[in-house]
Amino acid sequence: MGKVKADFEYDVVIVGGGPAGLSAGIYLGRKGVKTLLIERGRFCGAKNLFGGVVYTESIKTLAPEFPNVEPFPCERQVTEEGYLILTERGYVKLTHSKEDRTHSFTAFRAKFDPFLADVAQRAGVDLAPKTKVVDFLKDDDGNISGVIVDRPKSFFDSSPASISAKVVILAEGVNRVLSQKAGLYSRDFQPEEVVLSVKEVLQLPKGELEKRLGLKEDEGLALEILGFITQGYPGLGFLYTNKNSISFGIGVFLSELAKNRVRPYELLERAKTHPFFQRLFEGAEVLEYGAHLIPEWGYKGFPKFYGNGVLVCGDAGGFVNPLFKEGTNLAIYSGLLAGETAFLALEKGDFSEKTLKVYEEKLKESYFYKDLALAKNMKDLFLRNKHIFSTYPELLYEAMSLFFSAQGKFKREVIKEIITLIKKKRGFLGVLKDFLSFARLFW
Amino acid sequence: MLNLLVSIKQVPDTTNIRINPETGTLIREGVPAVINPYDISALALACNLKKTYGGKITVITMGPPQARLALKEAIEYFADRIILLTDRRFAGADTLATSYTLAEAIKFLEKTDRPFDLYLFGKQAIDGDTAQVGPGVAARLNVPVITYTIKIEELDLEKRKIVVQRKTERGIEILSARLPVLLTCEKEAGHPVFSPLSAILQAQKAEPEVFGADGRIPYDLNRLGLKGSPTRVHRVYTPEIKKQGKMINLDEVGVEAAVEEIIKLFKAKGVL
Ligand SMILES: Cc1cc2nc3c(=O)[nH]c(=O)nc-3n(C[C@H](O)[C@H](O)[C@H](O)COP(=O)(O)OP(=O)(O)OC[C@H]3O[C@@H](n4cnc5c(N)ncnc54)[C@H](O)[C@@H]3O)c2cc1C
Ligand SMILES: Cc1cc2nc3c(=O)[nH]c(=O)nc-3n(C[C@H](O)[C@H](O)[C@H](O)COP(=O)(O)OP(=O)(O)OC[C@H]3O[C@@H](n4cnc5c(N)ncnc54)[C@H](O)[C@@H]3O)c2cc1C
Repeated sequence: MGKVKADFEYDVVIVGGGPAGLSAGIYLGRKGVKTLLIERGRFCGAKNLFGGVVYTESIKTLAPEFPNVEPFPCERQVTEEGYLILTERGYVKLTHSKEDRTHSFTAFRAKFDPFLADVAQRAGVDLAPKTKVVDFLKDDDGNISGVIVDRPKSFFDSSPASISAKVVILAEGVNRVLSQKAGLYSRDFQPEEVVLSVKEVLQLPKGELEKRLGLKEDEGLALEILGFITQGYPGLGFLYTNKNSISFGIGVFLSELAKNRVRPYELLERAKTHPFFQRLFEGAEVLEYGAHLIPEWGYKGFPKFYGNGVLVCGDAGGFVNPLFKEGTNLAIYSGLLAGETAFLALEKGDFSEKTLKVYEEKLKESYFYKDLALAKNMKDLFLRNKHIFSTYPELLYEAMSLFFSAQGKFKREVIKEIITLIKKKRGFLGVLKDFLSFARLFW
Repeated sequence: MLNLLVSIKQVPDTTNIRINPETGTLIREGVPAVINPYDISALALACNLKKTYGGKITVITMGPPQARLALKEAIEYFADRIILLTDRRFAGADTLATSYTLAEAIKFLEKTDRPFDLYLFGKQAIDGDTAQVGPGVAARLNVPVITYTIKIEELDLEKRKIVVQRKTERGIEILSARLPVLLTCEKEAGHPVFSPLSAILQAQKAEPEVFGADGRIPYDLNRLGLKGSPTRVHRVYTPEIKKQGKMINLDEVGVEAAVEEIIKLFKAKGVL
């Protein structure tokens, strides 16, 4: 590929300072590659929001000493994890205690991303915050060979600065504008390919969080919430404990919100009137509120992961496994693979698709690519089969109510009642069909 | 060539400030710190002056170690040299001690380098709000001070003369002064700066020169920090917001009775 003239010269430019971009940067920095990471936020994490739970294993690939780091970038370890299934007034709670108490932690992006950014900078990566990449720099053959940003070159030349790079790694998150511009996607994402999520951080009076949730100071809870929380729309709620506050949010497919003209914030407010949350959030103060999209186009919507001089990773590549809260860790893993590939290309001195194709091979060997391939029909099932979000939560709750109020009744009658209930709500054939279609996702 | 000094303070970002209702004090924990907005204007003014006249910008702050972040950011405004004054013995300073600490450091910089032509301060800090530090430093440096600057109309380096617009309650005053002079800046003083990529990159790598009360700057230890601060905080409280006006509930009294009531009230006040 031909050389281009630019104001700044780097070997690799990374677009986006989320976990994906930072991981690619950390890998390359440690290999001594001249790397620039560009982030449009005031600092890494400033513009971002997630649930969120982060997994120790993935963080250790970047900072082996984690969780023994100062200052600690997370909130609480997750010691209890599971599901909360809601009906309009009642709930079923199913959680398990975690054996490995350092398996995962809750965190805020505004604290977690700067931690990774610090690791990256110490690895030698140059960081340009408050800077937005607006376009690509191309060589004579039209191959990507750098980027153009919104910032001027110097105090005396206000034309936009250009930066040359042998490889550009796109880690721009769910709004995959540049990935599309690079030709890796052939179209915009559709409303049924993304979940719109809103989240509040609620602070309780000191000591109340532990008291109300039955936790100790070094314990934390992570709940996925199903059913009434989304008013039956396909989506999930979540509740994670931070040091002094609770992260509470809801995510629903954008297409469903648009079709039914519901705003996610209304769902959140409505959910707070449920007895479970009313009790939990009594006297709570809302510290923060925010919204963010989650990419759920998955396997079927995967882009081409590489082009001449360009790679895409993280949310921008669609690496999210919603059922298992895997997003941040997949951003880290795919970012590392992108970093590895760029390094390989630099060693070979070839940055064309021919070499960068290795990235796709690496991805295909990874567990998460296989996971997403396996679950390729999940989104469609969720959008098609709404019973999962309305009928079954109610059914489960009512069946349990019957079962546990069976005192003084002939038990065969109770079982009969439950069977009638199932018949009425969904029918045996329906249940069987749902079960099979769900099982088929993983088989 | 202009030699500029800008004095900045790191303050809590008041867009999300909260007061602890029990103690009445600011909750600083978790509140991100920013450069005092008026000091941003001072930095922007310095940047614009350097672009026009050439020269050098030195930025100084007194504060805790994390104030280094404010100084790093100052590099984005074309600053050349950044100075952090930090020491436990500086802590708890009121405006008297703050002015003393800054003025001595500035004298030290002038002695070891060269004198400044302009000293740029913010109009006031949005947390302390006294607007005393600028004038306090000017007095100690024995230079004239122009407060509430909104514009430099003229700057003649040969004649060492400056013409400045300042905002007053009655209107705009136009003053001229001989250099060196200390200006405290209003919001309008500096046009916003959209920093170039070169400066953004430099800012990330820049580290301030750090000075403490260790003797390099000849401080009288009794005039520093809490020790040198005669101000004692008697009490801090959140002013009670008094409900103003009388409420008439239409659902209770009906429109007609309400109108009558209002007319009666107006008459009693002499409005009607
Ligand atoms: C509500 C919610 C809850 C979640 N919960 C979890 C959870 O519990 N566990 C989990 O593992 N994951 C969770 N996720 C997913 C996780 O947050 C993402 O998968 C992860 O952050 C993806 O990282 P990334 O680096 O690919 O993208 P991002 O984190 O989105 O980072 C992209 C960055 O690129 C920057 N950028 C974009 N365009 C440009 C440009 N042109 N120029 C410069 N900079 C640019 C953006 O400012 C941003 O900082 C959740 C997500 C949401 C929305
Ligand atoms: C009644 C009272 C009680 C206080 N109690 C305490 C206390 O207990 N603990 C405490 O820490 N503080 C306390 N302060 C605050 C402290 O005295 C002031 O923050 C400090 O002296 C600066 O004054 P100011 O914020 O009013 O700045 P102003 O005079 O309003 O600032 C004007 C300009 O001076 C410059 N400037 C101000 N401060 C600095 C600095 N540190 N470094 C560089 N430039 C600067 C900036 O250019 C700024 O725009 C108190 C203030 C008052 C009025």
